[in-house]
Parts: sequence; structure tokens; C-alpha cells
Amino acid sequence: MSGVVMVETIRRHVTNAGYLAFLGLVAIVAIAASHFDRPTAAWPTLIWLLAVITGAGPIGPEFSSGTLQLILVKPLNRATYLLSRVAGVLCVVWLTALVAFTCEVIGRAFTGAIPWQVLATALLNSMADTLLTVSLLVLLGSITRAYFNAAIYVGTQIGISVITGVLTMSHRFPAVLQAIGTIDGNLFPDRPLTFDRDYLLLAASNAAIALVLACFAFREREVPYGAD
Amino acid sequence: MTQEGGVQVRGLHKAFKSWRREQPVLKGVDLDVAPGEVVGLIGPNGAGKTTLMSCLLGFLHPDEGTISIDGRANDELDVRRRTGFVPERVNFDRRETGRAFLRYMALLAGVPQSEVDARVAAMLERLGIAGAAEKRLGQYSRGMLQRVGMCQALIHEPSFIFLDEPTSGLDPNGVLLVRDLIAEQKQRGAAVLLNSHQLAEIEKVCDRVLFLSGGRITHDETLRHVDRIMVAITMLPGSFDPAAVGRIAGTPMQQNVLIASVETERDIAQLVRELVDSGAGVIDVRRHTADLEGIFRGEA
Repeated sequence: MSGVVMVETIRRHVTNAGYLAFLGLVAIVAIAASHFDRPTAAWPTLIWLLAVITGAGPIGPEFSSGTLQLILVKPLNRATYLLSRVAGVLCVVWLTALVAFTCEVIGRAFTGAIPWQVLATALLNSMADTLLTVSLLVLLGSITRAYFNAAIYVGTQIGISVITGVLTMSHRFPAVLQAIGTIDGNLFPDRPLTFDRDYLLLAASNAAIALVLACFAFREREVPYGAD
Repeated sequence: MTQEGGVQVRGLHKAFKSWRREQPVLKGVDLDVAPGEVVGLIGPNGAGKTTLMSCLLGFLHPDEGTISIDGRANDELDVRRRTGFVPERVNFDRRETGRAFLRYMALLAGVPQSEVDARVAAMLERLGIAGAAEKRLGQYSRGMLQRVGMCQALIHEPSFIFLDEPTSGLDPNGVLLVRDLIAEQKQRGAAVLLNSHQLAEIEKVCDRVLFLSGGRITHDETLRHVDRIMVAITMLPGSFDPAAVGRIAGTPMQQNVLIASVETERDIAQLVRELVDSGAGVIDVRRHTADLEGIFRGEA
């Protein structure tokens, strides 16, 4: 892991006006949601959205813009660079989740009792969810150009939902439906509302597999300059 | 010529493959760049110059052949620690300031944290963009970005430098500055490979020039020797005896032009005096370089 790359990734995000606006939005939503009966009503979805936006950044867009070539001549292993970028992005996303959590805690402190267990579980599940999301996006980024990784990620999610819906209604091809369900459950598992050890392990292990594959793909990838 | 400490390429082949066809780009390239030598790479568009540079820098994986830098594989981290690269266009996050970008590049290149700020400031000053250090890269002109590109490549004092059109987009002052910088790197003992379409520039800064055409090095011209001066002396036709001139200079004539190699400027004066004494009418004496334009026209 390269501390330089990780710190730079964090610095570039936290000094970005767009990120700061998003952070403000998350804080407002979390405080507003603290008046709802159900804890953690909205912000985990925003955190997931942030993970999609920031997770799409490493490798693919850098490949297309030509910034990657300046990095690859430096004394830095490709896998180290990739993992450091992921770590930096996750730090930013998790920091935002922590801000949302803190805002909801503060909001609920004014309105009554703080459901610590529910809030902490939501934070943990959100972290696991974004770990898997960022890892999958980086895997896709390591084999595609520009922001195709985000397009493929979102497109696959929508495609799986549509195909599942059609197959369920048609009552045909149960084996295909089951296979798609397994893929869906592994790539896009539903974030539980309660503490679920299996979910956390599934997200962590699938993220690890995605990152190993990403490192391998990136190591083998040719990066001509003036690529696009 | 083989050497430890320089860049050595042997039998390099590279083809771009798609599912329908294979397009060979490099077809057995051999090249050497010795420490302290500046080698120019010229050739027409599509000759494979960028592919060759990409292979040397480890961006592309060659199909065949070997690349060694300082006797080691080009992708070893220790080799990369001593490698500098200036791309034709510097692309980076345009919201970054010049200083922040260079700090990041310096840290990645392994410059100690305690020296980074001083080195960045010195490079910005040297390249004449200190005044724009706090501006965002998006506000930089093409020439300023090119200067930033030079800064990031040289900030860690690399031993192997790959320059791709380093003077493109630069004003005359910038061109002179880059020329000085290349000379400094050569003086420092760095091996420099310069890819450029500007033949005049190549002629001025390079010791040797390689002409790449059709995926092969077709010419390897020495422009200047490290310890010798090439001189071209033109004589009035009919005023000299070619055999006598050949004896004096130790080299045969080409029509009415004598191209000789001497050690010092004093030797040039001595040679001219001897030629005049033999009755030859010397009408022009100038330092000789290869006719790059001629080579280019002939091969392109």
C-alpha cells in the first residue's frame, strides 16, 4: 500500500467542491431523517451513490485521460497503486458514512433516545456494501476505459432486475432464474437492516476476490499513451 | 555497442492484435543509449516511435525481444526510480495546482519528504513557471504544461530519460530552456532518448539519431562524437588534388567536400592551413552534422 497515493486520493476528494456539497447534503439528510421513526432511513443510499461516483474514478478514466502513464513510470507496483487508490476512495466514502451516522446521532439526541445498535449496524452494513461496490467498480475499471465501469455496473444491476422480473412472470427457465439470483446475490446483495454476519462475510470475501482479479487484470493491461 | 548503465534493446517485436487481424508495428528493433548520450528518434507517422517508447517504459508488453536498462528489466522498481518520462501532452487532474501536482509526482518518484518542497520550488524556478505555481493546471497554456511535464520528469534527477516531443507547444525561450536542460542531463551522465519530429532540434541536442521506419531502425547516424569534432570543408572545384587532400586529412573526399574528424578546434585550423598550403582553395568550413532532412526525405 502506498501512503502517498492513498493520502493524495483522500486530499483530492475532500478538497473538491462537489464532494463538500455532497457531504453537506448527506449531513442535512441524516439530521432530517433523525426525526423519522425508522432510524437510518435515507443516508445509506446516498453513501452507496457516493461509492458509485468515487469508485468509478480509479484506473478506467485515468487510462483514457492519459494520467495513468505518468504514474506507471514511477517506482510503484501496479497492484500497490490500485489497492492504494481503493483504500483512499474507501476512506472518503466511510468518512462520509461516519459523518451521516454522527449527524443522525446528534439529531436523535435532541428528539429522544439514541438507537445505538440500529445506527451502528447500519453504519457497518453501509461500509460493507460500499466496500463491495467500490471493489466491483475498480475491477470493471481495470478492464475498461473511461467511465464504462459505472455504466456496466449500473446496467448489470438494472439488467438483472429486468431479466429476473421477466423470468419470474413467465414461470419458465427456473434454472436460469436461480443462476441469475445467485449472481445478483453475490454482486448486489441486499443490505440488511439488522446485524448479519453472513452478509458482512459475503461482502468482504466477494470484494477481496474482485480486488485480486482487478490487480491481476491491471498488471497484464497494456497502457499505450495517447490511448484514446 | 553494449553497456551496463544504459538502455539496451534487442530484437524487439510488437504487434497489435485484434480478433480479425494482427498488425505488426515493431519488427526487430535494436537500440542502445549509453549513459551521458542523447539519442534522437525520428521517423514518419505510424513508424512505431510511440509504440517503441511505450515498450521501453513498460506501458506495452513486447511480443519478442529484450529491453534492459542498466542491465536490468525495465519494469523493476529500482529502474523506474531512476527513470523520467515527458509525454507529448501532460494530462492530469486540471483542478490541481502546478505545485500540488509536482509535489505528488516527486513523492511518487521517491524524493524524500523533507526535500520535496525545496526541489519543487527549484524546478518551478528553473523552468520559469514559479509565478504560476499556485494556479490550477487547467489555467496553464500548452507551453506551461510542457514545462510542468519537464519538471515532473527531472525532479528526482533520473538516470534514464525518455522525452516525447518535449518542445512541442513551447515558445523560443522554452525551446532554448529545454535544450539547456537536456545538455545538463547529458552532463550529469543521464541516458536520454528523445522522440521528436523537429529535425533541427534533434540536430542541435542529440549525439546520435535513429531513424525508425516500417518498424525497423533503418539509419543510425552519429551527429557528434563525445571526444571528436566532425568538420566539413568545401573546396573550390579544380583547385585541389583529391589524392593529396586524402593524404592530409586521412579520409577520402566526397566531390569537393572533405568530411574529417578532429579532436580540437586547433586541429581544424591546422587542417585548413595544410590544405591551403597544398594549393586547395578552401571556400567554406563548418561543423558537420548528418543531413537528417535528406535521410527523412529518402526514407519517409
